[in-house]
Amino acid sequence: MPFVAPHIAWHGIAPELALVGGALVALLIDAVKPAVDRRFLAGLSLATIGLAAWFTFDLRDTRAVIMQGTLAVDGVALFGRLILLITAAMTILISYHYLSRRRIHRGEYYPLLLLATSGMTLLAASNDLLLSFLAIETLSLALYVMVGFARRDEKSQEGALKYFLLGAFSSAFLLYGIALTYGATGSTQLSVISKQAAVASVDERLMFVAVAMIAVGFAFKVAAVPFHMWSPDAYQGAPTSVTGFMAAGTKAAAFIGFFRVFLVAFGALQWDWRPVLWIVAVATMAVGSLLAIAQTDVKRMLAYSSIAHAGYVLIGLVAANRDGVSAALFYLLIYAVMVLGAFAAVIVSAPGGSERLSLAEWGGIGRRYPVFGGAMTLFLLALAGLPPTSGFTGKFLLFAAAIKAHENALVVAATITSVVAAFFYVRLIVLIWLQDPPPDDGHPGIGPTPALITSLGIAAAATIVFGVWPQSLIDLARNAISHGFVG
Amino acid sequence: MNLAWPLTLGALLFSIGVYGVLARRNAVLVLMSIELMLNAVNVNLVAFSTWIRETIAIGQIFALFVITIAAAEVGIGLAIVLLIFRNRETINIDEIDLLKW
Amino acid sequence: MILAATGPEIAFWGFAVVAGIAGFFVVGSRNVVHAALYLVGVLGSVGAIYIVLGAEFVGWVQILIYVGAIVVLLLFGIMLTKAPIGGVALDNNQRPVAFIVAATTFGGLTWIIWRTFGGTRIRLSPTRTAQIGNSLFTHFVLPFEAVSVLLLAALVGAIVLARRD
Repeated sequence: MPFVAPHIAWHGIAPELALVGGALVALLIDAVKPAVDRRFLAGLSLATIGLAAWFTFDLRDTRAVIMQGTLAVDGVALFGRLILLITAAMTILISYHYLSRRRIHRGEYYPLLLLATSGMTLLAASNDLLLSFLAIETLSLALYVMVGFARRDEKSQEGALKYFLLGAFSSAFLLYGIALTYGATGSTQLSVISKQAAVASVDERLMFVAVAMIAVGFAFKVAAVPFHMWSPDAYQGAPTSVTGFMAAGTKAAAFIGFFRVFLVAFGALQWDWRPVLWIVAVATMAVGSLLAIAQTDVKRMLAYSSIAHAGYVLIGLVAANRDGVSAALFYLLIYAVMVLGAFAAVIVSAPGGSERLSLAEWGGIGRRYPVFGGAMTLFLLALAGLPPTSGFTGKFLLFAAAIKAHENALVVAATITSVVAAFFYVRLIVLIWLQDPPPDDGHPGIGPTPALITSLGIAAAATIVFGVWPQSLIDLARNAISHGFVG
Repeated sequence: MNLAWPLTLGALLFSIGVYGVLARRNAVLVLMSIELMLNAVNVNLVAFSTWIRETIAIGQIFALFVITIAAAEVGIGLAIVLLIFRNRETINIDEIDLLKW
Repeated sequence: MILAATGPEIAFWGFAVVAGIAGFFVVGSRNVVHAALYLVGVLGSVGAIYIVLGAEFVGWVQILIYVGAIVVLLLFGIMLTKAPIGGVALDNNQRPVAFIVAATTFGGLTWIIWRTFGGTRIRLSPTRTAQIGNSLFTHFVLPFEAVSVLLLAALVGAIVLARRD
């Protein structure tokens, strides 16, 4: 059998190549010169992300399936990359001083972050279950390590262990599902599966088991109930900058992969999986909102809030129409920005290595530092989905998509859980503004730095702009899916 | 040979792995159980590949990738386990419980 | 039926029984080191089954990587964490639940497998390694590159976590 060299569409994988290349350069520099100024590594990583964004922008008019059918270049993949690159850039901004304060500023952080980002962007664009699985594993392995990056902190270690064991367990389910899909359809490529799944010769019950197991794998990664158990522990234990990265990036990447696999490969089976995901969506919103009320740790509260938000994005998948996809894309972007803003605020909340983690420590902080308190309030309002923030627009779009798909009961359930969720966000806002600041709370003020102020400012501006003038971003998200998924 | 036999072996190994993950409290033993589950998947993939016989042998290639990833996972997993053991002198999962609701 | 079995089928049965029994001991053994050795039994038998099924390259990779590398790593893990050998409970108290879940999984999967593939025969003939290589470096070139990135991330990550400083 003669070997014929494969055709490689370099331009299509250029964003990932840039990220991996940047990671390699950062690793080499750190290995050769361990005392290198971390500012240099952070700057190099930001430049790499900029380069990847430029290559992504360069693909804006391309629509194709490349690399022997394993990679899709379409609007959704590009929008996904956009979300993930923004997330990675903001994470670097909030990481730099935080890691120094906690004395865990090791050089490997930046390569790991870039490698995780490359896994995420591949997942958003993957058109083959094999590649999707590899991308999920790449981002997961890098993240297991990043969660445990504060190596001496027992909570960080514990978060890493729980995330790792449950993550590996769920990967095995995902793999078994992929193996069954391959057995039933003879392929791992999404478009081929979709054609085969529509043929009557494929056993419907076998496909149902396969789809269910793949759904377990994705539900775990997006932290949907009942596969959310890892996320509060991992979010609380992880260094705060990593928590923000997971909440924004992992969620976005896993959701885009989830949407692509289910709408492209299993589109013909949607009458089987939509009712199941309906229940998962409602349970996720309800459990996330209800358990968040009981939390006293701000990171853990945001973790449960993040679970509830996964439920809202699932509405877009249950709707299973183009409006659902564009609403989910919009939501994932604005959620990434606002949740990173909220975690940036947690980092700013204290100048030393320890943040104000207990809710009580936030009492009256708005009176002492009105600008800071105002920024946190804005993010909390956005997470609660109240106007005039981007969170309101995002929820509105998702609900509209669900109504278009005649999922009225789902919208009612989502509205009720939003009201419940608003309770604990507003409770924290009340605490920030109406309580008297304690005379001495053990924290000498707050710790803003230029990078942290920049990220807070960007997040706050985006949260307001896309709340008041959302149209341009809505159009962008609609254009991303206007021709459907490629393939 | 009947295709269902290797698939049944896969289902058996997978279920044994599920039992091990749920019932074991030593983290290294949980890791071994996860390896059993990954092996079960590979048995399925290879069996399907033998049946489908496409020229690009998707199932066998996939199995190779799964073996690679299993190795990477064990590496990371043991690093985390060692890290925890240095601090706490235990790797029993039910004793690692600082984080609670 | 059993009289009509061919050589490869008999070999498959032998290895499958070994793999199944050793699998039970992996999760049932009260000694951590024994569990790891039973795991070698499972992994070796499964590798042999790959060879019987015609996937020779995968079979040898299985034996090299799994038995040669992964189990050694696991044994190192056991050694470095001074795992108790006998005497200490290795299981938690949710064994009945775990058993029910596992039995249900097995029952459900087996039912669906026999329902779908009960009458499907496979022909056992080896896949040439050249074919695997050709496929890997043409059709699966992007996944191959992706997995190299994954291994890099794992390597860096494991060193970051385990290094003493």
